[in-house]
Amino acid sequence: MEDMELKNVWKSYENQLEQARILNLQSWVLNLETKQSVQLMKAKTKLNRLARLKSWMVVAGIAWIAALLFLILNSLEWKKLFFVLSLSMIVLFTIVAVVVYIYHVRLIRSIDNSESIVEAQEKTAKLQSSSLQVVRILFLQMPFYTTWFYTWNQVTEPDPRFWLISFPITLFFVYLSLWLYRNINYKNINKRWFRFLFNGPEWTPIMKAMSFMQEIEEFKKNV
Amino acid sequence: MEQAEQQAFLALIEQNKGIIFKICNSYCKDRADREDLAQEIIYQLWKSGNRFNTDYKFTTWMYRVALNTAISHYRKEKKTAELISIDDHPLEIEDSVDTGHETQVQIAQLNQFIDQLKELDKALLLLYLEEKSHAEIAEIIGISVSNVSTRINRIKTTLKQNFSAINK
Repeated sequence: MEDMELKNVWKSYENQLEQARILNLQSWVLNLETKQSVQLMKAKTKLNRLARLKSWMVVAGIAWIAALLFLILNSLEWKKLFFVLSLSMIVLFTIVAVVVYIYHVRLIRSIDNSESIVEAQEKTAKLQSSSLQVVRILFLQMPFYTTWFYTWNQVTEPDPRFWLISFPITLFFVYLSLWLYRNINYKNINKRWFRFLFNGPEWTPIMKAMSFMQEIEEFKKNV
Repeated sequence: MEQAEQQAFLALIEQNKGIIFKICNSYCKDRADREDLAQEIIYQLWKSGNRFNTDYKFTTWMYRVALNTAISHYRKEKKTAELISIDDHPLEIEDSVDTGHETQVQIAQLNQFIDQLKELDKALLLLYLEEKSHAEIAEIIGISVSNVSTRINRIKTTLKQNFSAINK
């Protein structure tokens, strides 16, 4: 089929559709007008739900930070150095996660359907997969959950239990958290370990959004 | 919305309903789903009217809103029943009139092919068939003009092969 023929088929299709009438357009638009606020709210429900969820996560994150800060301030002693340092690092990563959530809420508000297709769809897919972005940041605090009970004596004295068990475990978690931070991204979505780690219905829409992001990336490339 | 504005909006939808229906048919198989999408597109156009940027051509803006709404709708797991159910006043779209048998078969074949394309390629082909220039397609989609040309050529080649295979 040549170009002209193809476009002629499309024209016939257009003519066919032109004859279809919207029977109640006027009253439908009038109705839209009277229920504007409700409609507006409902039409944006999905994104609003996401914004609400993320706003709640911000509140929960702030509460968690406050609780940890309370513990830190009440443990400012030399012998609790590792406890205070570990908790401080956890607070730091939680603050980063809260800031990322605030950024996501702002991103939801900025979605505009009249942007270019690639731009708008990229934003939407990015938002849908954003939970994973926060998960990878939170993975970075993992090692500090293995250090809060360290004592100064364990570190300064040749305690075999510490140097053969606790410390290697911490090192392992440092390596693992950095590795996960670097590798949790849409480029690895098809890897077996990734599918194993994020297997479950709650991750399905996120995985779909990530594979769409991959598709957009491919699409943007000059071929 | 003032009455004059409302009339202008109605006229606008009437003028462009062909485009809206074609986009709906390309992104939704099911009739009820198509009507949902048509409603959603009209609603989004109405809602985004005040955001229309005069730097762009009106059709560029309209295609962007319509295609973005269609792709997002297509990607949703659940249908947008919420938008309709609260309304109690769904949009009623009359069935279109059949053209000749041969044309009908070709339209069906073309739609079948469009249906197999990925969301973004589908948008590209629709704009190409609407006889938009490569520059305008690039602006609507948000990729380079050379990328548009290469991708369109690739889609056309596959399309021709498909048609030849069917019509052998």
